[in-house]
Amino acid sequence: MNYLYFLYIEFLAKYNIPQLFGDITFFVIPCVIIFVALLLVILALVLFERKLLGWFTQRKGPNRVGFWGLLQTVADAFKLLCKENVTPTGADRFLFNLAPILIFIPVMICLGLIPFSSEFTFMNFQTNLLIYIVIATMPVLSILLAGWASNNKYSLIGAMRNVAQILAYELPIAFTVLSVIVLASSMNLTQITLAQSSKLGVLGWFCIPCFIGLVIMFISTIAELNRCPFDLPEAESELICGYNTEYSGMRFALFYLSEYGMLFANSLLISVLFFGGFLSPFGKYLTSGVLIYFEQAFWLFLKSFLIIFIMIWIRATLPRMASFDLLKFSWVVLLPVSILNLFLMVILKYIGGLHV
Amino acid sequence: MTKLKLNLGPQHPSTHGVLRLILELEGEKILSCEPDVGYLHRGMEKMAERLSYVQYLPLVDRIDYLAGFFYSELMCRTVEKALNLEISDKVRAIRVMMLELNRIASHLLWIGAFLMDLGATSPFFYAFREREMILKYFEKVTGQRMMNNYFVFGGVRRDIFDLEDVENILATLEKKVPDYEKLITENPIFLQRTRGKGILLKEVALNSSITGVNLRASGFDLDFRKRDKLYCGFYFEPVVLEGTDAWSRYKARVLEIIESSNIVRQALEYLKKEGELNQSLINPLNIKLPEGEYYSEIEAPRGLASLYIKSTNEKTPYRLKWRTPSFYAVNLLRKILVGEYLNDAIAIAGSLDIILPEVDK
Amino acid sequence: MNWENFKNIFSDVETKGDKLIVKTNIAKTIDFIKNNYHFDVLKNITAVDLKEQGVELIYHLFNVEDEEELLVSILVNDVAESVSKIFDSAVADEKEIYDLFGVKFIGNDELKRLYMPETWEGHPLKKDYVENDERLNWNDKA
Repeated sequence: MNYLYFLYIEFLAKYNIPQLFGDITFFVIPCVIIFVALLLVILALVLFERKLLGWFTQRKGPNRVGFWGLLQTVADAFKLLCKENVTPTGADRFLFNLAPILIFIPVMICLGLIPFSSEFTFMNFQTNLLIYIVIATMPVLSILLAGWASNNKYSLIGAMRNVAQILAYELPIAFTVLSVIVLASSMNLTQITLAQSSKLGVLGWFCIPCFIGLVIMFISTIAELNRCPFDLPEAESELICGYNTEYSGMRFALFYLSEYGMLFANSLLISVLFFGGFLSPFGKYLTSGVLIYFEQAFWLFLKSFLIIFIMIWIRATLPRMASFDLLKFSWVVLLPVSILNLFLMVILKYIGGLHV
Repeated sequence: MTKLKLNLGPQHPSTHGVLRLILELEGEKILSCEPDVGYLHRGMEKMAERLSYVQYLPLVDRIDYLAGFFYSELMCRTVEKALNLEISDKVRAIRVMMLELNRIASHLLWIGAFLMDLGATSPFFYAFREREMILKYFEKVTGQRMMNNYFVFGGVRRDIFDLEDVENILATLEKKVPDYEKLITENPIFLQRTRGKGILLKEVALNSSITGVNLRASGFDLDFRKRDKLYCGFYFEPVVLEGTDAWSRYKARVLEIIESSNIVRQALEYLKKEGELNQSLINPLNIKLPEGEYYSEIEAPRGLASLYIKSTNEKTPYRLKWRTPSFYAVNLLRKILVGEYLNDAIAIAGSLDIILPEVDK
Repeated sequence: MNWENFKNIFSDVETKGDKLIVKTNIAKTIDFIKNNYHFDVLKNITAVDLKEQGVELIYHLFNVEDEEELLVSILVNDVAESVSKIFDSAVADEKEIYDLFGVKFIGNDELKRLYMPETWEGHPLKKDYVENDERLNWNDKA
């Protein structure tokens, strides 16, 4: 990050712009970039999912707006912007309007914490990962607000289900993340990534020693994102649309975008924790110079999109789980296994440490 | 804990039409369920009292839009019975083939919709792909995809053709049905959602007048096709499963698709050899049924359907009464859903294969 | 089937064609038939409005073991005995007949309009039902 900072100040100095301007804008520009990039990525993701689901079910997917349907999601977003915002009678107006605003903040913070390349993290703290884990559970608060404030029974049941689900699946995630921290001896995502680097490429990644952890993390992440087969809070055939039943227009769009934003952020996190983040799978980078940073970002995006692809594949295949089996699955299977996995990693680290 | 009154429907994604269930919930547990129907009431029985038989015939397909042939056949059969019309063997074979193709189409749609209720979206499209082939064939022969109006009193509207299409359908089904089994039947989540859910014991089913696949999946062998003159000469075994739960109702329908395609194949073999179509058609404009009561029944995809006509030698029936299987399935929901969780309730209601135009008539 | 025993208990029962015509005590008769002759399924209840004579209720009973059918009929005037305690399926049938013919079933606790709205006047399948154009617009009045 410092490297980029000096590059930027030098660039400004060339054109005789005072350093103070650079100091301020250096922190504003990433926020703008992240916001615009996030929107673009989400639009791409929605299209990606719809196209893939189309292919899985022997359809064409969106193919009318723009070449090959590429502008479909843009058109959808524009339509949502133009739609009327309806507040149901009897709803708590303040909370009802607050919920969609609140839900978008944690998504952006989460994306800011991810190292996109070895020198490029928007917010680089020593305890990056810990903050991520804390912030990533925040959307449930606004979902609860939305469900409560909507004055709709379906929304309320959806919100209730969501809270129960997040509570159940947050613990296995925490224990899995702990085992990764033990392996990497760091809570910083960049350093966790670098701890996975080796000459052998793929073999150095944590998905090999911590395979059980990867499986737990993958399942729990799907549950936390409310995606099929864990999409109970917005189970269409039971609860119409769950907590966002009453939302329309841009407010609905915010829920929708944040859902895909979290999907993207969480798949980035999985690829950082288990698939070596921005590291190349061949052990050495294919490019050199400044291009390396772009190559690193490319690898990270490729890995996370592969993870998202698998999630969409699962969505196209499996039916929804029953609510009680869902909670039971977490408390009875995932939690004990994740604790066991933590012990296993500690032992592994201890033995490995002796050899070094 | 306070009770929550939840109004499920009439506009709800999983009630397959306009069924309204008034549920009383404690948490997500259902304390009581009260079905409210009538949103699709068209007065089929009242209409019959002022229309002549031939005017009424096109309407009967609408009683069950997914299995219109069965109600058409029922109407024709009752009038033929009253007028002592004999239908030739070829007409019989054509009718059996169309009915069984229709049964397959209906079951396929049910499989898709049921899986949709459980949250799996893909099987819906797969089931529709096969159903589309059948509907295309219907369109070719009858000119309509769903409201076919193909059977007439004493015969069928036109001779059958393009039998290789039917062969094609059967070959595709033979390939694709095992695919469904692979994708759905042994899926652990599907098993979890349906095994042991919605237990319907055969005593309860009989007392609630549940017939058809739902009854046979509860381990009671009662297939009205076996005592049906139309199916005379066709060999088939009714699918009887002992499971009594939602899963066996699913499985029974999948097996019945295979069984029905066997019947279609037999009809097909017969039709290939047969020559000219000879029908015992009558002038439909002056049909007057002799005074008396006429009753006939048929095994529709959802259970026993029957028709009662009381005639006073007029051009219109004095009283016409339909018995439709879904009507009793909705009535059963009052009992079968109590004590279940909302999550399972959708699966159980879906597994009974309720279709609303049939309930409301 | 041994009907002698049956005839002794219910003396006022006539047979007409394949129909058993009962004068009174329909619930008791059907209960007896169900328990002694294994007619376990009530397929449906058909109501026919016979104008001055009243409404004829025809019970389609079915013996699942011997696959036999039995029609039991009774003539009623606006009030009838309910068989909903004997056959659960009768609840729906009786609701429908109440709605369309106006026959009140004593003993059926869930009796109410099935298809028509609660405020609807008259019973559509009665022969003396007159359609009034004004009433077809019931939806606007509310």
